[in-house]
Amino acid sequence: MNPVLVAFAAALAVAIPALATAWAQSRIGPAISASMAEKPELSTTAILLVAIPETMVILGFVVAVVILVRT
Amino acid sequence: MIIEMSKLRILGPRERLEDVLRVLQDLSLLHLSPPEAVPLAHPELSPGQERESRHLRDALANVEQALSALAVPENGSAVPGAATPTDLARWARLAWRTRRETDRLAAQGAALEEEKALIMKYQHFFSAFRALLESESRWPNAQAYHVLLRGREAGNLPQLRASLAAVIGEEFQLFSQPLPTGELAVLIVVSAQAAGRVERLLAEARVQEIPVPEAYGGKSLTAAIPRMLERLGTIPREVEAIRQRRQALARAHGAELRRARAALHDRLQSLAALPLSGVTTRAFVLEGWVPARARRDLERGLHGSFGDDVVVSEIAKEEWESEQAPVVLANPRLFRPFETVVSLMPLPRYGSIDPTPFVAVFFPAFFGLMVGDVGYGLILAALGLVLHARSKPGTTLRNVSEIIGPCAMFSIIAGFLFGELFGDLGQHWLGLRPLLFDRAEALVPFLLLAVAIGAVHVVLGLILGVVSARRHPRQALGRGVSAAMVVLVIVGLLAAIGVLPRGFFTPIVIALLVGFPALIVLEGLVAPIEFLATLGNILSYARIMALGVASVMMAVVANKMVGAIGSVTVGILFALLFHLVNFAIAAFTPTIHALRLHYVEFFGKFFSPGGVRYQPFGHWTRVNARPRVPPTPRHPRQAA
Repeated sequence: MNPVLVAFAAALAVAIPALATAWAQSRIGPAISASMAEKPELSTTAILLVAIPETMVILGFVVAVVILVRT
Repeated sequence: MIIEMSKLRILGPRERLEDVLRVLQDLSLLHLSPPEAVPLAHPELSPGQERESRHLRDALANVEQALSALAVPENGSAVPGAATPTDLARWARLAWRTRRETDRLAAQGAALEEEKALIMKYQHFFSAFRALLESESRWPNAQAYHVLLRGREAGNLPQLRASLAAVIGEEFQLFSQPLPTGELAVLIVVSAQAAGRVERLLAEARVQEIPVPEAYGGKSLTAAIPRMLERLGTIPREVEAIRQRRQALARAHGAELRRARAALHDRLQSLAALPLSGVTTRAFVLEGWVPARARRDLERGLHGSFGDDVVVSEIAKEEWESEQAPVVLANPRLFRPFETVVSLMPLPRYGSIDPTPFVAVFFPAFFGLMVGDVGYGLILAALGLVLHARSKPGTTLRNVSEIIGPCAMFSIIAGFLFGELFGDLGQHWLGLRPLLFDRAEALVPFLLLAVAIGAVHVVLGLILGVVSARRHPRQALGRGVSAAMVVLVIVGLLAAIGVLPRGFFTPIVIALLVGFPALIVLEGLVAPIEFLATLGNILSYARIMALGVASVMMAVVANKMVGAIGSVTVGILFALLFHLVNFAIAAFTPTIHALRLHYVEFFGKFFSPGGVRYQPFGHWTRVNARPRVPPTPRHPRQAA
């Protein structure tokens, strides 16, 4: 397969989830910060909520690795 | 682990209730709860006690406020002796006087700060107008206007000059001085007769005149500026005098106020404990929990003080629900710091599983696999040692330092497994070779390792889920089937790719086809979705590989900077900076993701939150410290 297309596919596999993660975190971050201002005990929930969307980009990275390794 | 609790009932003559409560407060072992089994009246506070409670709360508020204002250091170890009503009254008066004094000092300090801020606002004008004011002083009968032209207005100065000339002719002088802020300070000196017309002109042009603060007297800035400058010199001395007065108050009354705080808290707690008892006309009943190991201590303590007047009996476990029992976590010394990680979540319920030992093993392991660098591990260990040396025992900081230790150790071990010391620097300089594989090259093996660890962790969580649901056989069976199916899926996949004999594949598929309906029957229609979510949870451990590879790549890039940038010195500086950034990321991100893997993927399989913290009725300082759990009693023969 054309190596340029493979590289492009791998880049897309990371870039699109990265954008999705960034968008999700940009919404979650301010909301949970505002909640923490009123209830500091929500710090654990904050960590979880901010870390949860990162799964998308991490799995995207794994897919990109698989694309690069398999071709 | 969650230590075993006993529920006790204490019976005695009603007139001894307050004495018994006093002894229980000294023992600090019983977590009180209102008696439920028998319908009893709960004694309410008398009007006198209500009044006392109100006064004590006010006094406590004064003490807290005074201690905070005086910044008296905490000293939570001392337990106060019994305080008499005279002591309490004396402390209430002392607290009121000290608070009034600290409030007065705070108001004085605030006023001085405000005055200083006001003068500082004029700071720029002083320097700008100083030269101009000399011109003002040459016009003894003139009126001076101090004007500030902001931004684009500064360009209108010629227009202002022309307008003034049109209104009052030549009876004025105009001086200007640019400020560092880009504004233009303007001094307009006019004859007294023309003052009215100039004021109208300035008002119509909406030019803002700088007001002279009235406190510094006079209409002229010329007169005010020297006074303001003089005042600026005296304010720090007054602020220092206030600080010294505060220190003197803290020295004189700090220790006394700390004692007062503890005693007031104690008395308020003993008053709050009264309605938690049950009474008849002649007797009282108290109920509560103690750690099973401490039961004898409590019985001995009460018997020593009241003999046979007070009877302690254990309430059978069948009579209380485990959800009501308070929870104390008690783990071996090595695992105890990780209670901090668990305590970020709500406490586990009594009777469920304390995940601390598992966190103590897996958290540093995940962290180490993600960091996986001997160099970063050593720096982390040094950081942990510094934190350990600078923290006090029992504090969160000490616990964090003790968590850093195993994390650093696992990072170093993983560093040797992957052959990394500051990225590939160890390979180039010291000939370090990976014992397992090179993370930067062997991406697929690292991914498989991460997912395999995830499978072990999640299956362990499912097994713990079976154990924690042992009292509900159907739920336990459902979780067991789910765990077995996860294992079957993993074995089936290994058989499909040839790692295990291919002959395993067909029986496993048949077993899964049988297992699915069983799972739906046991756990309901959501079971297949939960099963798929569990498989997703295992894949989530791929983040160990992703973050690990990102970490090593960053370190490799940092090392390449030395050769990539023209000057070697600049290259080394950039490389160090990049390693520093990578270290900061390596310390922070793996922590967050290791926490997430535990809280979401692992705890989700078995953790039952909602436990009530064990808070024995005791002295204020003790109640706020870690609950005291006596050691396991030895066998009578050994004790002898």
